[in-house]
Amino acid sequence: MNKKGLELTFAWLFAIIVGAVIIVLAIYATTSLIKTERKVQETEIGKQFGILLSPIETNLEAAKIARITFPDETRLINNCRLVGTFGAQDIGIATRSRIGEEWTEAGVPSTFYNKYMFSSETTQGREFSVFSKPFNMPFKVADLIFVWSEEYCFINPSTEILEELEALNPKNINITTSVAECSKQSKKVCFTSSGCDIDVSVSSKSVKKGKQVVYYEDSLIYGAIFADPDIYECQVKRLLKRSSELSLLYIAKSESLAPRGCSSNLESDLTTYAFETNNVTSSIEFREFYNLAKTMKEKNELLSCKLF
Amino acid sequence: MNFYLANYSKGQMKIQQMAFVLVALMIFFALVSLFYFSIRVSNLEKGVVELREDEAKELVRKLAASPEFAWTATDCASCIDLDKVILLKNRKAYSGFWNLDYLAVERVYPSKQGECSKGSYPNCNSITIINKTGAFGTPAWSYVALCRHEFSKSNYVRCELGRIFAAGKGIQ
Repeated sequence: MNKKGLELTFAWLFAIIVGAVIIVLAIYATTSLIKTERKVQETEIGKQFGILLSPIETNLEAAKIARITFPDETRLINNCRLVGTFGAQDIGIATRSRIGEEWTEAGVPSTFYNKYMFSSETTQGREFSVFSKPFNMPFKVADLIFVWSEEYCFINPSTEILEELEALNPKNINITTSVAECSKQSKKVCFTSSGCDIDVSVSSKSVKKGKQVVYYEDSLIYGAIFADPDIYECQVKRLLKRSSELSLLYIAKSESLAPRGCSSNLESDLTTYAFETNNVTSSIEFREFYNLAKTMKEKNELLSCKLF
Repeated sequence: MNFYLANYSKGQMKIQQMAFVLVALMIFFALVSLFYFSIRVSNLEKGVVELREDEAKELVRKLAASPEFAWTATDCASCIDLDKVILLKNRKAYSGFWNLDYLAVERVYPSKQGECSKGSYPNCNSITIINKTGAFGTPAWSYVALCRHEFSKSNYVRCELGRIFAAGKGIQ
């Protein structure tokens, strides 16, 4: 009978331990590398998405529509920050993976200071509808970008919206006359009645989403419909901060034109407007300076050398 | 004098050999990873620069429509309000607004000389709005119409041919 058994020399033991350490390290390094590469890729896609939004912005057009398709299911993360003079728009992307964890944290967000994206905090899908419209109050402030991937059902929208949507024909917005005609999975938007996912009151220029009510002017009605209320309020503040800076620019323009024989009587109005728009705390305050904006627009129309 | 002679057993020699192999293996892996990371980082930097250039290219096509530049008195898609642009030059708030290292407007025809200042405007050639670094590479550009109110004989709008230049942010 052989009683010797397996002889485990030091050399074997050493080789096994070191081999195991090398394999563990290799697996760890590969996993980390895959995670980092994924993050890099998602960061690049986020930046590319932001860049792609530029050609969708308007020149003289009243509105523009486009669709952005990703190769796989993607999450678009919209973050609005109130930093600096103009605030910031962060765009993050998370892609679905078929290996390992399906969804991980989004890549490093790309920051844009001159973009205003209205969407849910997280929008998921392969195809994203992108709709752009200028925001004028009383002068053009910026192009608003509305992004969504889910289906919407607009019930009895106003004539203006109806005509615009019929002309643009967005793929996943259905226009109906009753809730019953909407598909089950769609988000219902009521314009003349209430009780839908989103209720629009054209008379009070407000949009109710759940328990939160936001107020709009001009093309911001779409922003109030498509964006989460918190994002909407943040973007409104950013837009009004830009309005304030533009007002200061128009004051300077008015002052530079006056000695050359082209004075305007808008400087005091613009000063008040710049102050008010810079200190806005909520969209409900639109009402406070809407009349001032309207007056400035009328005064500008009468000028021989228009300010804006 | 005493001489000491080291005596190694066969087992000790094997362990030493293995240690040397391990050290060599580690150095090899370190070199390979160093090589990989240097290539990856350079590719990444190239990618970032390309993305920023793309951003500048797309932006330069749309800047004429941006409210800070647009000539809004009449409908004109690529008309820039030069009276506003000269004022933008001194507004610090806009220095980081477009994510650019260089942004300038230049008159193409009729050509004039020099950088514009409040004193020399409008008898000058270019307005540099942003110039953060001298090394911004080749900027993207687009033709625009440079419009302004002219008061020489009567009040009229004068538009001239110009170009707008933009270069993306570099890597610091």
